[in-house]
Amino acid sequence: MTVEQGNVVNAEAAFTQHQLQQQIEAAQQGDMVAYRQLYDRFVGKVYALSYRLTGDAAMAEDATQEVFVQVWQKLGNFSGKSQFATWLHSVTANITISYLRKQKGWLKRMFSMEPETEQQLLAEPATDLTQLDKCIVRLPERARLVFVLHAVEGYRHEEIGRMLNMATGTSKAQYHRARSLLEEWLGEGSE
Amino acid sequence: MNNQPDNLTQQLDKLPEDIKPSRDLWQGIELAITHDAPAQPARSRWPLAAAAGLVLPAVLVWLFMSGGQPPVGSTNPTVVAQMSKQFESQKASLLVAYQDQNAVADNWQGQLAELESAADAIKAALENNPNNMALLRMLQSVYQQQIDLIERVHAPKWQQI
Repeated sequence: MTVEQGNVVNAEAAFTQHQLQQQIEAAQQGDMVAYRQLYDRFVGKVYALSYRLTGDAAMAEDATQEVFVQVWQKLGNFSGKSQFATWLHSVTANITISYLRKQKGWLKRMFSMEPETEQQLLAEPATDLTQLDKCIVRLPERARLVFVLHAVEGYRHEEIGRMLNMATGTSKAQYHRARSLLEEWLGEGSE
Repeated sequence: MNNQPDNLTQQLDKLPEDIKPSRDLWQGIELAITHDAPAQPARSRWPLAAAAGLVLPAVLVWLFMSGGQPPVGSTNPTVVAQMSKQFESQKASLLVAYQDQNAVADNWQGQLAELESAADAIKAALENNPNNMALLRMLQSVYQQQIDLIERVHAPKWQQI
């Protein structure tokens, strides 16, 4: 990349950041049009995280809507000290986990001593999924949550333990279980 | 050599940041936001209703405090005019505030017209009998009923929960 091209890229990035900042500030003032623009910009990211955490398209849609409703109410709390996308991902993870907890059978699925079973898909899966995404949503719930939070979102096992009310060691064990299953399934797919 | 862990890592690196939902979720979000958000017009209407509820009784209290029987042919028409002016102002403000909002009852304007006719009849009676406190109280009550009716059909209690 030439210096000139680099300057253009930097200028575009600065403009995009400035535009985002304006949209956030307008939405904080109650501007619904600006909030719709933020929705258009981030709905794919929020839905992707919700879908990977829930493993179900219908629940992911519900959770995504819940996220944007609650973000509208909490937007005043966003101080701008962190990146908006980072803040939004954190809010999305917490709201989706909270949403899952409200679903029937959460405790049974999370803490059952019986061997965990693969996720039963209840809704039409999203289209254009990568092979890895198709495998992630098949994972048992605990393993899937831990894997998505650690491998995809970058949370530490200590943080995951707090978020999911489980021991750090359990989080690590579930992560390794998820990896083993994914490696096995991806191996089958490539044969 | 088993290279599957590398395969997983490679696929993780290529995992897309975005997945598009299969339907538009905005409508539901907008509906919830509009419903949940503190509706500013509704907030601004409550002081009007409260004022309507306070000003009219205050006029009556002032009437009683000043002796119960206003001087014949002088104060009473002024009080009626003052009450009517205050009421018409409050009513007009409420109707403007609610003009873009659907009422929950179809016949509320008919009921309002009946109350307006009743108020006109009481005012006509007061012209002939300006010292009649019962008529004044009736007028105040009919004005209050109109305010209550407009409020009730546009912002019923169950919508405020």
